[in-house]
Amino acid sequence: MSSRTFTIAGRVMHQLVRDRRTIALLVIVPLVIASIVGVSVPEKSMLDYIAPAVLAVLILFFGFLLTGISVLRERTQGTLERLMASPVSRLDVVGGYLLGFLPFALLQTLIIFFYMVYVLNVNYYCELWQILVFQVIIGIGAVCLGTFCSVFAKNEFQMVQFIPLIILPQVFLCGLLWPVGQMPDYLQWVAKFLPLTYGVDGIRAMMLYGQDLLDIGKEVGVLLAFAVGLLILAAVTLRRGTSS
Amino acid sequence: MPRGISFGLLGPNGAGKTTLIRLLVGLLRPKLGTIRVLGRRPSPKIANRIGYMPQLPSLYAELSIAQNVEFFARIYHLTDRTERKQRVEAVIKLVDMWEHRNKSIMSLSGGMKQRASMACAIVHNPPMLFLDEPTVGLDPELRVTFWEYFSSLTQQGITLIISSHTMDDAAHCDRLAFMRDGKFVAQGTPAELRQATGRPEASLEDAFLYFVRRGEEKKNV
Repeated sequence: MSSRTFTIAGRVMHQLVRDRRTIALLVIVPLVIASIVGVSVPEKSMLDYIAPAVLAVLILFFGFLLTGISVLRERTQGTLERLMASPVSRLDVVGGYLLGFLPFALLQTLIIFFYMVYVLNVNYYCELWQILVFQVIIGIGAVCLGTFCSVFAKNEFQMVQFIPLIILPQVFLCGLLWPVGQMPDYLQWVAKFLPLTYGVDGIRAMMLYGQDLLDIGKEVGVLLAFAVGLLILAAVTLRRGTSS
Repeated sequence: MPRGISFGLLGPNGAGKTTLIRLLVGLLRPKLGTIRVLGRRPSPKIANRIGYMPQLPSLYAELSIAQNVEFFARIYHLTDRTERKQRVEAVIKLVDMWEHRNKSIMSLSGGMKQRASMACAIVHNPPMLFLDEPTVGLDPELRVTFWEYFSSLTQQGITLIISSHTMDDAAHCDRLAFMRDGKFVAQGTPAELRQATGRPEASLEDAFLYFVRRGEEKKNV
């Protein structure tokens, strides 16, 4: 990592802030979703079960989508090619996106969290900073996954199609709506290979059962492994598509 | 190649001009042979000393001209704040965009984008500058302006490598290479290339056709 990483991070943040509507949507959309979940849930106790999972799902979703599209645009508009001809390394670029997006992702997490706790009266039994740390770990994976997947998209339409392909199956199989243990064996097996399963398990264990980051060491470890793996994949594939 | 000259890569679409430039700036790796730029293989060290202006304007659409130039100045490690500020101002002024510096790229016309793109390519004052079809899509007046920018750069001792498919650009270059099907068919100054045809009144266009035909005849023999 070098000062160039921070330069890229600064630019990513600058671009996002300049796009006022995207910033507004970043705040409003999760609140709408949280409200829908909060109002539609038949029993209050179920909300305490679902709310933590919503936090994990949203950071994966937004991290993936926003970075995916940003990196895709960087590819199609030719600026990535320009960067690759400069002294910038691929890790600088991926690192820059991570540092640029994570503050927004954390801000979003905070907004949803306070909304859930103070407006929807969700109970939680852990410390807030531990939730934030855990969310960062999910977020790193999400940003790298988005960067990696953008290699396979030639335009925004294709990138958006990756949501039903890559994000939705994780949402249904991660235990957000029903426990993984109640699914057929082969689906439980599939769920074991999806990062979001560990994200939901971990954050639920903290918020609902009062465990801390050390107690959920397995989930943290698996998510970190996913994050590192995806980071390497994202950096290795970054050059692709710049020279077509 | 001598310093401070403009070297034109001339050839029709698909001749390999862009591929050659990409190889030279290190975006592509050669399958065979080696490439040397400024006496070395393309590497991050060399990347600091070359400028590259891609075919498309390649700028951040949401950001202003000044922000784009500033970004590339930082990328090329102009860490000193005052020096960076001076360079950013100097290159934006060089391409006559100073009064538009706070406009976002997406609000600019094609020619203005091209000028902003050029400012980004030269902000770190590289001794060698690669320009991939910099004059494509420019109106004749702006084309002349661009050639004025280019000659002010060569006067500063910067070597320019310019690809183009118009003979109009070719006439401005100090030296030329004609390319076809990925190969150089001829090299020399515009005057030398014209003389080689054996007809003093020949244009560069005639010269290009002459070398292409000669190449084909050789193949057929």
